[in-house]
Amino acid sequence: MKVSDARVCVLRIEGTNCEEESYRCFKRLGAKPEKVHLKQLTGTDVTSDERRSLSDYQLLVFPGGFSAGDYVRAGAIFAARLRSRLSKDLVEFVREGKPVLGICNGFQILVEAGLLPAMSGVMSEAPEAVLGTNDSARFECRPTLLKNVNRGNCVFTSRIPGDRICQIPSAHAEGKLMFPLDSANRIIKELEENDQIVFKYVDPDGELAGYPWCPNGSIASIAGLCSPEGNVFGLMPHPERVFFRYTHPDWTRHPDGNGDGRAVFESVLEYISKKI
Amino acid sequence: MPTARLYIPQDVPFELSEIDLAGASDDDLIEISRDSGTALSLDEMRRIKEHFVRRGRNPTDVELQSIGQAWSEHCCYKSSKAFLKEYVFSITNRHVIDRGDAGVMEFDRDHAYALRIESHNHPSAVEPYGGAATGIGGILRDVLCMGARPIALVDPLFFGPLDYPFPRLPEGIKHPKYLLGGVVAGIRDYGNRVGVPTVSGGLWFDESYIGNCLVNVGCVGIAEKSNVRRNAVRGPGDVLVLVGGRTGRDGIHGVTFASAVLTKESETESRGAVQLGDPIMKEPVMHAVLEANERNLVNGMKDLGGGGLSCVVGEIALAGGCGADVDLSRVPLKEEGLAPWEIWISESQERMMLSVSPRNLEKVLHIFKLWDVPATPVGKIVREKRVRLFFEDVKVFDLELDFLTEGPEYCRPCEADAAGKRRKEKLPKTRSRYDGTLLGLLSDHNICDRDWVIRQYDHEVGANTILKPLHGKTGHWSHGDAAVLKPVEESFRGLAIATASNPFAVGVDPYRGGKACVDEVCRNLAAVGARPHSLTDCLNFGNPEKPDRLWQFRETIRGIGEVARELNLPIPSGNVSFYNESPTGPVLPTPAILGCGIVRDIRKCVTSDLKREGNPIFLVGPTKAEMGSSAYFRKTGSYSPRIPNVDTSALRAGLDIVVGGIERGAVVACHDISDGGLAVALAEMCIGGDLGANVNLEGMGRLRSDAKLFAEGTSRWLVEVRKGKERQLPRDRATKVMKMGHVEGHSLRLVSGRTLIDVCLDRMARRFNEPIWRVVG
Repeated sequence: MKVSDARVCVLRIEGTNCEEESYRCFKRLGAKPEKVHLKQLTGTDVTSDERRSLSDYQLLVFPGGFSAGDYVRAGAIFAARLRSRLSKDLVEFVREGKPVLGICNGFQILVEAGLLPAMSGVMSEAPEAVLGTNDSARFECRPTLLKNVNRGNCVFTSRIPGDRICQIPSAHAEGKLMFPLDSANRIIKELEENDQIVFKYVDPDGELAGYPWCPNGSIASIAGLCSPEGNVFGLMPHPERVFFRYTHPDWTRHPDGNGDGRAVFESVLEYISKKI
Repeated sequence: MPTARLYIPQDVPFELSEIDLAGASDDDLIEISRDSGTALSLDEMRRIKEHFVRRGRNPTDVELQSIGQAWSEHCCYKSSKAFLKEYVFSITNRHVIDRGDAGVMEFDRDHAYALRIESHNHPSAVEPYGGAATGIGGILRDVLCMGARPIALVDPLFFGPLDYPFPRLPEGIKHPKYLLGGVVAGIRDYGNRVGVPTVSGGLWFDESYIGNCLVNVGCVGIAEKSNVRRNAVRGPGDVLVLVGGRTGRDGIHGVTFASAVLTKESETESRGAVQLGDPIMKEPVMHAVLEANERNLVNGMKDLGGGGLSCVVGEIALAGGCGADVDLSRVPLKEEGLAPWEIWISESQERMMLSVSPRNLEKVLHIFKLWDVPATPVGKIVREKRVRLFFEDVKVFDLELDFLTEGPEYCRPCEADAAGKRRKEKLPKTRSRYDGTLLGLLSDHNICDRDWVIRQYDHEVGANTILKPLHGKTGHWSHGDAAVLKPVEESFRGLAIATASNPFAVGVDPYRGGKACVDEVCRNLAAVGARPHSLTDCLNFGNPEKPDRLWQFRETIRGIGEVARELNLPIPSGNVSFYNESPTGPVLPTPAILGCGIVRDIRKCVTSDLKREGNPIFLVGPTKAEMGSSAYFRKTGSYSPRIPNVDTSALRAGLDIVVGGIERGAVVACHDISDGGLAVALAEMCIGGDLGANVNLEGMGRLRSDAKLFAEGTSRWLVEVRKGKERQLPRDRATKVMKMGHVEGHSLRLVSGRTLIDVCLDRMARRFNEPIWRVVG
């Protein structure tokens, strides 16, 4: 499929607040993004003109924000609404190999909905991981450095060289990836074997980092994960905020070139153009 | 209550009384004003009484409450209007598009930006988390109701010293540390949730804020010019649609609370005046309002802030030359059983009033339904300029708008306090070295690193923040002077946003202090490469009924107005906050100024951190020995009445040099000289860039060494120039440009005949970065 035909569903509810910048990244690369309210997919309170079906799209994006206020647990309310109304459509979408992206709150939603890490099937019955409150117990808006550790499974990072350190900023209060304590080591090993770990937080020397370079205390400094098939991808940092060089925190020192986040969007559109 | 006999209950199935003003003595009138919570003066009560006697009837409680709101200082600016008209409102140019709830200025051919700053001081002093959060909520609506999408938040905050001893805290007053934590959390949790970046602000500490902290909140928005709306109805027949949150008993008498002095009982008596914020109602309200507006379905909008419905209905109708009939029983409520007067004046949050043509009503209601936001037609616009209210088909209110909105206007007595003039000058002792002084200033709470606060706010949601609040090499940072946003996708034009305040200078000399505040905001904007374009100000002062406080107010805005006029900088919006005093006394007179500037091409912007070893460093602007109110004087217990003056021709020349140098690519780093003077400014540049500097101050002429290092004279900048591009830096006879040294090594060296300062960079960074963390981390 040509990139210019690729339809991107940027899904939102109340409190989703990074939809505009996510939408624009795909628009700039020539795809056909659309901001869609969840009620347009479930058919609640909408006219026939506004009604949409998930199967009309080739890519599904859960942008950042504070969906429904994140009042229960980050992403939990959005995930509950998804599971109650759209489970079947979502599972089908993922099984067809279509890519799904969750950024920040979107990552939290994917984990809460059981779509990541998805080690026991496309959509696990219960969440297999949690993105908990940062070790600092504070919202952390700060520059972060990510190393792409994926060996080629993830369809969102194919254009990022393995040794490359990307400057992609973080802004969240609940980004600490955790697994059940008794099985955490086994799960990490399995994730590595499945090539599901995508990004890790590193310091300016490229070494695995503690606070503040890892802003939340995530296990194994993990910043982003994909599904075993590589088409569902979630990360806490915000690639859509560094599409251009001039939104990097230190761009006035290195003004040339693209933003480090751009390759994430280019990678997935390349995947769509080749595989779908 | 002795006036109970004057309240005549009406025979209706809900709470409604008539108040027998005709039969009330002066004492009764004072009593009625007090127990109704309206805080009207005796003269004002008499005027109301006369009005109703002429009409041959008594007012209902709804009417009296409504007048109390409309005539409060907060709503009608009765003590400040005369001065504002003289010094501020009259500055105008062709870029001003509107002066509504927010000012609207031209951004480019097709776009406009909106700006406003206001205070939320009293609510935040009583309940810091809720007070600050609803402050953000209110300022967002002010921008939204002009048809603009909010793109940036700004929050200057003023507290007592963080290390203030608990035993000295007056009764009923909360500790500054608690207030800071609560306020920052409130701004964080509301601002981050609604997805608007907090990009600028400031933190000031002084004992005068112990009893009455100041929480100012500013917002900037962007709109296509065709989507800009007035806060007015189009004409008779328009439907008034109330959208957003439900109405409850929170925030009753908020404006009268804001128009009185805080007392130790404020905590218990006025808790109910603080509203409750709900960002997850506000976020979809913004979506729905903007969508309805962009589809051209809305004739005019206004936000419900102080005074709630009682203020918005009259003002939006009158602005369109009309009146309104409103059915209060249709207003969605949080709980049953509210009396009509409570519904009418409640300041419950997240509400806006839209004026809609009947043919568009269904479409508008549908948009709100999709976002699950309540939207209810509550009234219609009529030709006659009066408002009538009905509750369960009973008329409870019928007033001419001219009377209701024509609040009193005072020329209160206004005179300087003689005591301040008698204070004697006391200069600090000179020293041979100033290393310790510099380190002390860098760790002063009024100067040190604010990253503890800044990183709790999302300052880049929206992905349009080009220059963020912290500047520096990866892993290092110090403060930038202004944030820059790129609000239009297809254009490289930028909007710079800066905040300035200098309560210490204003406290010593309000006229010169006011001038210095405008100078500072202009310096900040220019330092990133922006041309100053407009200002908005929040003026926080004490009780205006006291002549010396009102004098401070008048002198300050005279100073602000004078510099703004000379630079042709309109002030299309603003806010006055009086009665900022408590039993411990008034706050320092505190104007907080938010400035917007235009950046022609954001790819040319520069940050404050030093960039490269060997680059020359220049000083732009003249240095004088005026050190009154400087951080250095405060730290050393010195005093001088000589506050730096502003020479507008030197300011204008400096702005041209700095912005010109940046646009030509000659300047690679720039920082304005403010708190702590040249030495602190240069130290901050070093800390951000992780590079040292070697600078010689001899060229500054015959001045005391400490004046060269720490004077806070106006219209000055430090610039790092790209090696070999020195001649590209513009010159101007109206100001001085002087080469002082180079970026060099890993320590800061300042020399004037002898070494004055030589401090290693890591030591400076530690002293700068740690202080706030040590107290609140």
